[in-house]
Formats: sequence, C-alpha cells, structure tokens
Amino acid sequence: MHQVEIATTQETLLDSPEMVLNMGPQHPSTHGVLRVVLKLDGETVIDLDCDIGYLHRGMEKIAENRQYPMIAPYWDRLDYIAAVSNGLVWVETVEQVMGLDVPARAHYLRTILTELNRIASHLLWLATHALDIGAVTVLLWALREREEILKIFERQFGARLTCHAWRIGGMTNDAYDDFDVDVRRFVNNFPKRLDEYETVLSENRIWLSRTVGIGVISAEDAVAIGLSGPALRGSGLAWDVRKSRPYAAYADMDFDIPVGENGDTFDRYLVRLEEMRQSRRIIQQAIDGLPDGPVSAKLPKVVKPPAGDYYHSIEAPKGEIGCYLVSDGSAHPYRVRVRPPSFVNLQALRQMCIGHLVADVVAIIGTLDIVLGEIDR
Amino acid sequence: MPLVKVPQPTFVQKLKRFFMMDLVRGLGLTLKYNVGAAFDKDSVAGKGIYTEQYPKERPDVAPRFHGAPRLNMDPETHETLCIACNLCALACPEDCIDVLAMDVEVVVAGKPRRKKVLDEFIFDTSRCMFCALCQEACPTSCLELTQDFELATYSRAGFVWNREMLEQGRETVKYTK
Amino acid sequence: MNACPLFLAPLNFIDSLLVKLGLAPETINYVVWPLIQIGVVVTVVAVWVAYGTYLERKISAFMQARLGPMRVGPWGLLQPIADGLKLLTKEDFIPEKADRWIFFFAPYIAVAAAFIVFSVIPFGPDWAVITDVNIGLLLVISVSSVGVLALILAGWSSNSKYSLLGGLRSSAQMVSYEVSMGLALIGGLMFARTLSLSGIVTGQASDSIWYVLYQPAGFLIFLISGIAENNRAPFDLPEAESELVAGFHTEYSGFRWSLFFMAEYAAMVVVSAIATTLYLGGWYFPFVYKLEAAGLHNAYVIVSALVFLIKLSVVLYLYFWLRWTLPRFRYDQLMDIGWKWLIPAALINIVFTAFSVFVVQALDAGQVLKTIEDTSHGLNLTGAGKIVMIVMGIVGLLLTGGLLSLVNWRSRDFNLKSQRRNIRLVSVPSGVSAVNSTKPATAPNEV
Repeated sequence: MHQVEIATTQETLLDSPEMVLNMGPQHPSTHGVLRVVLKLDGETVIDLDCDIGYLHRGMEKIAENRQYPMIAPYWDRLDYIAAVSNGLVWVETVEQVMGLDVPARAHYLRTILTELNRIASHLLWLATHALDIGAVTVLLWALREREEILKIFERQFGARLTCHAWRIGGMTNDAYDDFDVDVRRFVNNFPKRLDEYETVLSENRIWLSRTVGIGVISAEDAVAIGLSGPALRGSGLAWDVRKSRPYAAYADMDFDIPVGENGDTFDRYLVRLEEMRQSRRIIQQAIDGLPDGPVSAKLPKVVKPPAGDYYHSIEAPKGEIGCYLVSDGSAHPYRVRVRPPSFVNLQALRQMCIGHLVADVVAIIGTLDIVLGEIDR
Repeated sequence: MPLVKVPQPTFVQKLKRFFMMDLVRGLGLTLKYNVGAAFDKDSVAGKGIYTEQYPKERPDVAPRFHGAPRLNMDPETHETLCIACNLCALACPEDCIDVLAMDVEVVVAGKPRRKKVLDEFIFDTSRCMFCALCQEACPTSCLELTQDFELATYSRAGFVWNREMLEQGRETVKYTK
Repeated sequence: MNACPLFLAPLNFIDSLLVKLGLAPETINYVVWPLIQIGVVVTVVAVWVAYGTYLERKISAFMQARLGPMRVGPWGLLQPIADGLKLLTKEDFIPEKADRWIFFFAPYIAVAAAFIVFSVIPFGPDWAVITDVNIGLLLVISVSSVGVLALILAGWSSNSKYSLLGGLRSSAQMVSYEVSMGLALIGGLMFARTLSLSGIVTGQASDSIWYVLYQPAGFLIFLISGIAENNRAPFDLPEAESELVAGFHTEYSGFRWSLFFMAEYAAMVVVSAIATTLYLGGWYFPFVYKLEAAGLHNAYVIVSALVFLIKLSVVLYLYFWLRWTLPRFRYDQLMDIGWKWLIPAALINIVFTAFSVFVVQALDAGQVLKTIEDTSHGLNLTGAGKIVMIVMGIVGLLLTGGLLSLVNWRSRDFNLKSQRRNIRLVSVPSGVSAVNSTKPATAPNEV
C-alpha cells in the first residue's frame, strides 16, 4: 500500500497552522473510492496526495488467463460509465493485430454507438460536476437524457451499462428494428436539452465564480504530465485521437474539435458541452450515411494473434485509452496493459489544487472526470 | 489565481448583470418545469414527469436483454433442446456453467447407438456477469438469457440454479400497490 | 366578540368550564387562553415544519421532472409522519469522546430559539397573535441569534474535525448575515415608527401600502441575508454534503438530528414571516377590512390569518426555488457577499431612506405638495406622497447598486463578465480512414 507522505511539521496539531485532512475513500464527492490527503493551512491547500487502489480487481492478470473473445466483457468494467468505448479499444486492437477486415456497416454502427456513449459519459460528468458544485437539478435532467441513451443500448446490446458491445470482427447483431427511429429522435431532442443546461449554468454568476480560474493547468504542463481528452483540450491543444489516428468511421465524418484557452475548470466545462454537440453532429452524419452489408467479419475458431507487442488507442470520453498487448502466439495473451486516461489525468490533481481552497478540490476532481474503475483496474 | 482577460462589457450586459438576468433565466426554467410537472401526471418521456413508478409499473425490457438464463425446450415434444455439447461452459469467462452429460442407448436405423444427453446443468448466477457469450455459443438456441432481472434470493445457495430451475424459469412477484 | 355563534359556542363552553373550576377571570384571560394559543401555534408550526419538508421534496421533484414521495399515503402525504416515526425509533448514538451534556443540549437550544420567536409574530389582527410586545422586532432578531450558539455547541461537542470546521463556518456565516439582516429592517421601521410587529402591520394597513414598494432594496437585502442566515442554498456550504459530509450535525442521528432539521425549517418560516410582516403587508390585504366593517370580526381575523399564511408560503416557495436551481457559493465568496455587498447596501439603504423621508416631510412642510396624511399609525402618505416614495425607492435601488459596484470595483468576482465563449472549434484534417483499408496497428515495438 502506498505510503502517503504528508505530515505536519509541528509536534502537536494545536501548535501548527497546518492541518492534515483526509478526504477518505468514503466521500460523497470523490467519484469513486479515491482517498485524497490534504495538507491545509486554514482552508488553503498546500499539499495533496492521492491514494488509489481501493478498486483494484486484477483485470490485467485475469486477462492473462482468458481467451481473447472472453476478455471483452471484463474491459467494460474499466470505465464503467462509458463501457462501449472500452470494449472498442480491446476489439480494435485484436482486429488490427489479426488483420481482420471489418465491414463498413460495422464501422458506422460502431461510430454511432461510441458517440452516443461519449454523450452519455459527458452527461454523467455534467450531472456529478454540477451536483458537487450545488446545482442539483442539473443532475436529474442530465440523467434523464442519459436514460434515453441507455435505453438504446439496452435494445441494441442487451445491457445498459456494461454492454459487452463489440465482438472481435464486428458485432453480434445488426441494428435492431427501431434503431433508426430511436437515434433520430434522440438527435432531434438533444440540442434543446443542452440549451437548458446552459441556461441554468453557463452564464450563472455563481457557477462562473466557482469555475473560472480554478484548477488551471497550462498547455506545457499538460503535455508534460501526459493529459489527454477534454483536460488537454481545455488548455489549448487540439489533440484528438479521432482526428490524428482515425479509427472506425471517423475519417469520413466532418466534425470540429473544441479547444479552450485558459485551462481552467470553466473552459473544460465548455469544451465538454461543445463536444456533446459535435458528437451529435457525428451521429447525424453517420445515421444518414449508414451503409448496408454484413456486420461481422469471419473469425477463426480460436483467436491466436501472431507473437509480438502492439499498442492501439482510441479517444474515450475521458481521454486517450490505450491497450498494450503482448502476445506469444497462443490463445491467451501474455500480457495486457491498459493505458487508462483517468490514471494519467489524476496526476495533474496536485498541481491544479495547490493554492486553492478545500471547496475547490471537489470541483477540480469533478472537472478531471476520473473513474476509479479505470485508475485501479 | 491568474487574471481572466475578457472584453469590456456593453451597457446592455451591465444592465443584465445588475438585474441578475443570468440567475433569473435559470430560475425561470425551473419554474417552468415545476408548473409543467404539477399539471402533468403521465410518466412519459419528454413530458413533465419522467418517473416510472416501479414496482407498480413494470419497465419495458428489450427483447435482447441479458437477464436470467433459461434452458429452452422443444415446444411440441417438451424435450430439452440441449445436446450437452459443453460449448457454453467453454465459452464462459467466469466458469459458472457445469454441464453433466450421460450416455443413453438409442436405436437409430435398427442399430443400437450411444447418444450423449444432458443429465444435469448447473448455472451459478452469482458468478455470472451476463455477457451472453454462452448464449452466442449455444448451437441449438437452447440456452437463452431472458428478460428477467429480479434475481435476488435470500441465501447464497439460491443463486446456484439447476436444470429444473433453468427449464421452468422463475415466478416474478406481482406487486399490486 | 360578536356574531358567529357557531364559532363562539365551544369557546364560551370552555370559558364557562374554567369559571366553574374556580379560576379568576384574570387567570383565565391572561394565563389559560394564552396557553391555549401557544399550544395551537406550536402545533400549527410543528405541522407546518413537518409538511414543509414534504413540500420541499415535492417541489424539488417537480422541478427535476420526477414525482417525489408517492408511496406512503395518497400522493405521499403521510411521508413526514413516517419519517418522524423512523427518526424517533433510531438508536441514540453519542460519540465516545463527545462532551455529553453539551451534545445533549445543543439541539434543544436550537429548537427553542426558533420557536420562541413565534410568540410575537402577528398571524392576524386581534387574537391571532399570542403577545404583542412593543419591542417585537428586536426580540425576534435577538432570540434568533441564540440559535447560533446551538450551532457552535453542536460542532464543538461532537469532537470531530469535520463537525468543528462545519460548526465554526456556519456560525461565522450566520453572525455576519445577522448584521445586514438587522440593518435592512431599519429602513422599513422608518415608515412604521414602531418596533412592535403588530404595529408595523397596522402601519401598512392604515397606509394601504406594502412597504416593499417603498423599500425594494431593503426587501432584497433582507431576503438574501435571511437565506444566508438559515444556511440555505446558495449559501449552504457549511452543511453541503459534498464538502464536509454534513457540517456541524454530522455526528447527530435520530431524534436529535430531526430537532436540528426542525429548527432549520422553523427558522426559515420565521424569516419568511418577518419578511411578510415588514415588507409584504403582513395580514393586511385590500378589501378584507370590509368584513370587519360588516361586523364579522372573527371571520375577519381568520381571513387575515389565511392571507398571512399564503404570503408566507410564497416567500417559503422562494427558498425552495432558489435551493434547487442555483449552485452554491464557496465560503470566502459567501463572506465577501455578506461583508462587502450586503452590509454596505444595507447602510446605503438606511441613509437613502432617511433622505427620502426627509424629502417627503420637507415637501409637506414647505406646502409644495400635500404628501403626509397623518402620523398616528406610522407614516401615512397621500397618493402623491406614495408616488414620490415609490420613485425614491426605485432610485434608491439603482443608487445602491451603483455604489456597491464602486465599492467592489477591484474584486475578482465583479470583474467576471458574462458570456465568455472562449472556446474555439478547430477543424483538423483527419488521417487515413480505417474503413476501407486494413491498416495494421502502429509499428510493433522492439522488445
């Protein structure tokens, strides 16, 4: 267990102005079982240390003892909020290693459902972030939108949250009968709802006071730490794996990348809201241009990728999720390592929080959008 | 904290800020929801109230839902469709299926043959993660995941289902109020 | 008392019963009837507080597109009773290192402070007020301050870092906002010319005006200070769940916690009642006095009490509305607002109100405009005088806003202008499509 190295300088706490506060693993706002040890001077944070590992389930070790198609349901449990993109990174890694030719219809359906997944993840982020800062109503409204998406997932995949969406080579089932109707209805209703959230939050002076200038990270520091996703784009860098190394059908889609300026919480909030709009745009294009055809490629009976090590990454809602696979030619992988975006993003927490007040720590954890399932695996 | 560089506000913006228009707009939206919901009692998506009053109103479960497992039987002969091929047990990532087969003598075209039939089928739903790999592996569409999601039992042993429970399914509790 | 025999019959019966018991008429009139009044008021307030929680849950649910309590009783109406029973039967848990006696007494002090105030609030004209002390307003402000003591004691006696922090923050916040609350009330007093709460309502009744029209700034300042005083959103950081779990009442459970809860809701009702009394006309409503003129005195009192309760509910709705819409302020921003915005605003309001009263009196004395009617029940103005005063009220509001901006020119939050859409949409050309080619993964690494 990681030894947390924060201690006060004085003998007794009554003498020192510093106080060590433990935002323990059980806390309403740490977005999972995260332990944050704060060293406070009054209410200002002067040092911070994170203690993770409370949700470690040994997924990478489990993967060493399973065959390739069996690993996909475990990968949903990494970032359990956005399970579809986790499944996608695994499946795409294996497909690219094996050189499978996934049909175009599968690629388009993957794009549509992964973008719906991105909207669902961002909606949950907005809900919990607004809840932490105090606007409780936005939580319920955002979850209502997310419910629509989860219903689509249930009808398509059979499960709402941990979907086991993709199979190696494509998908199991084609789009269900009302898929087109449901997706179009969602796409038409969604902008109105986003405007409602903006009405309550974006110009609200209380929201601005709580988020502008809080948790600033510069572009250089962000690159040095290895941030990705909206956390990086809020600081000014236009890096999106969907654009730089397109996968699925993204190369055919016309969308923009929202990029912030100051690298504070408010910019990341605006970036994520805008990303939801761009996702809606992608879904609209993909559902309009959905090609016909099969949805799965032919697979050998036992999946045995050639020996070697490979890395593939995609743009998950939280950042760049990658999968490093070492194969020894057998039906079980030799080693699988996940590059979780939240794990890398969490490293920025210390730098972002020092100098701010305790109330801001909660807002900053919310804006980094971390999921402990990914961090601890 | 670094200063935020913003353009100078116009007079209209100053007036809006004085009269707290940003707060008023948010308040107006919640008032609209409040009034709308007070006059709308349907739990229909998109209208005032979005609540589904479970357990009085049963939810609409999709046909593909990964719920409780069931072993299907031939509708005419009422014999199990399972051919004891063990593919579902091999496909399961969690090792929660146990297929026990036995040999029986059958007469096929006058000659006695040994045929493998299903003896006992053990499914541990407490280990199951409802990934449906077993359903996909089954060649005869015997093993199927149904729409039943209310799987709670009062004991650990109640989670381990045998062939009889899998074939008959479980009774759902009907709530009347 | 006259007319309405149906209503009087049980009262006369009780009277005759008490006389038969041998009590002197003074005892009956000054001891027994007030006790009955107190009993009625306490019951009504307790029921109101309990159903206030129910209303909050229903209203917040409707705002959030859901239904709220529905299972216990029709439409969930028995929910407060179910909650009360549950809390009563919970284990009485006192932390081991806690200071037992203080831990025991703190909730009772809070409830007492909140409930004592109801003895002077004028629910209606004649017998709908328990006692009409002639320093009623002063009593209200001072007794509600005792509630702060309860918070500090609760935070301290729990012997836990979180509770202590929460308790100290709550009490510092309440003390700061009490100053602006008290100062905001002075503006209204200049018209009523009496501290007695019934006298204030009589002042508004005889002038046929609600003081909110003369004092829009004062009303706003009072409301905002009152919301902060009650630790309600958007000023509820000390008890916000996401920060310190529950602030000063983290370690309380069961019945003691429910006492704090009741004290908070009762304090909300108190602030709403004072706002209604002082600014919204109390039990006065135009044309209700006609009932009195028609001789139906008791009906007049009851209708006036209903008017008061309706106005109180409207202000209470504002509490719920604000809580479920707005995010909450951070603690230093909260204290900023109290000290740098509301207290200067209240002071400017007092000075400006005094100035406007002076203007009205000067206009009257100098025979320019007949503005003052008479000054027996507060300051009564003629129509022209009312128009002058209302205009001065609006001017005062704008002036207060302007001067506050001047005072806070350099503060960071004031410089936050709205509509900062600083994000830009970048169109980046994308790489090779993965749809039409089977590109292998990126080059395998050297092991």
